[in-house]
Amino acid sequence: MRITPDILLKCVIYSSLFFFTYLMILITLQYVPVNFTAAFLALKEDEIKLFHYQMAFFTHVYTSIFVLIFGAFQFSTWLRQKFSGLHKGMGYAYISLILVFASPSGLVMGYYGNGGIYSKISFCLLAILWFCFTLLALLKIKQKKYLAHRSFMILSYALTLSAISLRLFKWLIVHTLELPPMDTYKIVVWLGWVFNLGISIIIIKYTGHTSKQR
Amino acid sequence: MKHTIFFSFVMILLLSGCEEAIKNSDQKVEDEVSQVTSDKKENTPVKANTNLTVNHQNDMLGFWVGYFRKPETENDHKNIYIDEGLAWFRENKINISIDEFNGNEVTGHSVVAGNYRPFHGVYKELDSSYHFSVSEPGDDRYDGKFTFEILKHDSVIKGTWRANNKIEIPERVYELQKKVFSYNPEQMLEYSRRYGNWEKEKKTKIEDKEEREAFGDFYSEFSAATELIYKINASSTLLTKKDVENLKKGDLLIIRNTIYARHGYSFKNRPLRVFFDAQSWYIPVHVDIKSDLTEIEKKNIELMLKYEKNAKEYYDSFGRG
Repeated sequence: MRITPDILLKCVIYSSLFFFTYLMILITLQYVPVNFTAAFLALKEDEIKLFHYQMAFFTHVYTSIFVLIFGAFQFSTWLRQKFSGLHKGMGYAYISLILVFASPSGLVMGYYGNGGIYSKISFCLLAILWFCFTLLALLKIKQKKYLAHRSFMILSYALTLSAISLRLFKWLIVHTLELPPMDTYKIVVWLGWVFNLGISIIIIKYTGHTSKQR
Repeated sequence: MKHTIFFSFVMILLLSGCEEAIKNSDQKVEDEVSQVTSDKKENTPVKANTNLTVNHQNDMLGFWVGYFRKPETENDHKNIYIDEGLAWFRENKINISIDEFNGNEVTGHSVVAGNYRPFHGVYKELDSSYHFSVSEPGDDRYDGKFTFEILKHDSVIKGTWRANNKIEIPERVYELQKKVFSYNPEQMLEYSRRYGNWEKEKKTKIEDKEEREAFGDFYSEFSAATELIYKINASSTLLTKKDVENLKKGDLLIIRNTIYARHGYSFKNRPLRVFFDAQSWYIPVHVDIKSDLTEIEKKNIELMLKYEKNAKEYYDSFGRG
């Protein structure tokens, strides 16, 4: 097999996805077993006293990680063609985890988000768009509109990946500009998903017609 | 197959180092004040006298404050250059407290660099001055003898100190002013000495055995502080989440330790000591101030320690807190 730039690019994308997903698993494991004072929650004392916040937080943390993992397999043409049942199964898992658990819980958390009103708006908007794109992707596949399904799934997964990009932007900012923590937070809260959305729109625009249809 | 095994092995190696990427683990926030376990009773001047000029013998009772310096004849290589424009010539602010006269005998104590040492000795009244010769108990490796003089109708102590043992800086000179200490919660920091990044200093630490023996392993990492340390007062105002959530760990550290400085806490931690020594209002008086803290201060300290821990663990990592 010749190593073409195409394969090389795929290797880079999948290995970084693998790496960052692993980091996200580590972050998730900080909250196993259920612990009301771990990591992020150490500074969320007031909120974590609320029962609905507890429910939302742990629902979000425990389901989103699977959303991230299931989603990673769905863009492989090879997997989709060879094991279409698997694609379908993981697709349903991905969609239902988002629609039933991850997105609604994200909305509740967004309402209590750090960083003031603009950050709250960002988090809530993110949760709502995530829900909408995922739902639309489901409706499109039901109507057998594959291309539209693909587009909405790209949008949906772009927002799923904001968990990673938000933290990546944070890491970049504190290591370069060394901004204070809350200023950094307020920036990445928006940048984390708007950037991804931009990239995904570009991807949809330039790859839509050429990609193979099943 | 071979490749798969090799690849998995490399992957496991890579990933096993990842815990640090999401969180800086084992971060402890240094809080000297809460660690102090002294049952040592601190003496106070019996009849502390607020006259700052010495006209009577009793005018000498009280705190005499200034820099405890290494003599100029001492080698310069003991100086420490922290970072650009910030050097430390090993001077520490000392408080020599003259507590009581008894015949021709005098008792007192000194507070410097987190050490409280009593002294005892004799004094002589001369025509134009008082001459003192006092010694520390001698059961500490860093004990020594003070010799100093106070001119009548003046307000300065001038003298020297000699260590009993061979230590890194065996001699000190000082010129002290009489000062009256009072806790002032409104006291703000002055723009005097900048709070520097002492990380480079860590390297010199290892050779510096004596200081380490004396003061313990009290070095930690700091990011430099920002302007906010001159604006936020954690003694007079109850801080909220909003006040502290955007502070860097250097800011939090200074704002919290300024509380201790207002109470006259004598710092062991070297970077903090050098920083607070430069504040003109600061007097090292106590080595244990836990019981002096006000309710507001206690609440603020608790809040800031939480944010400091979070900043150390998560500020520059991939994870967030």
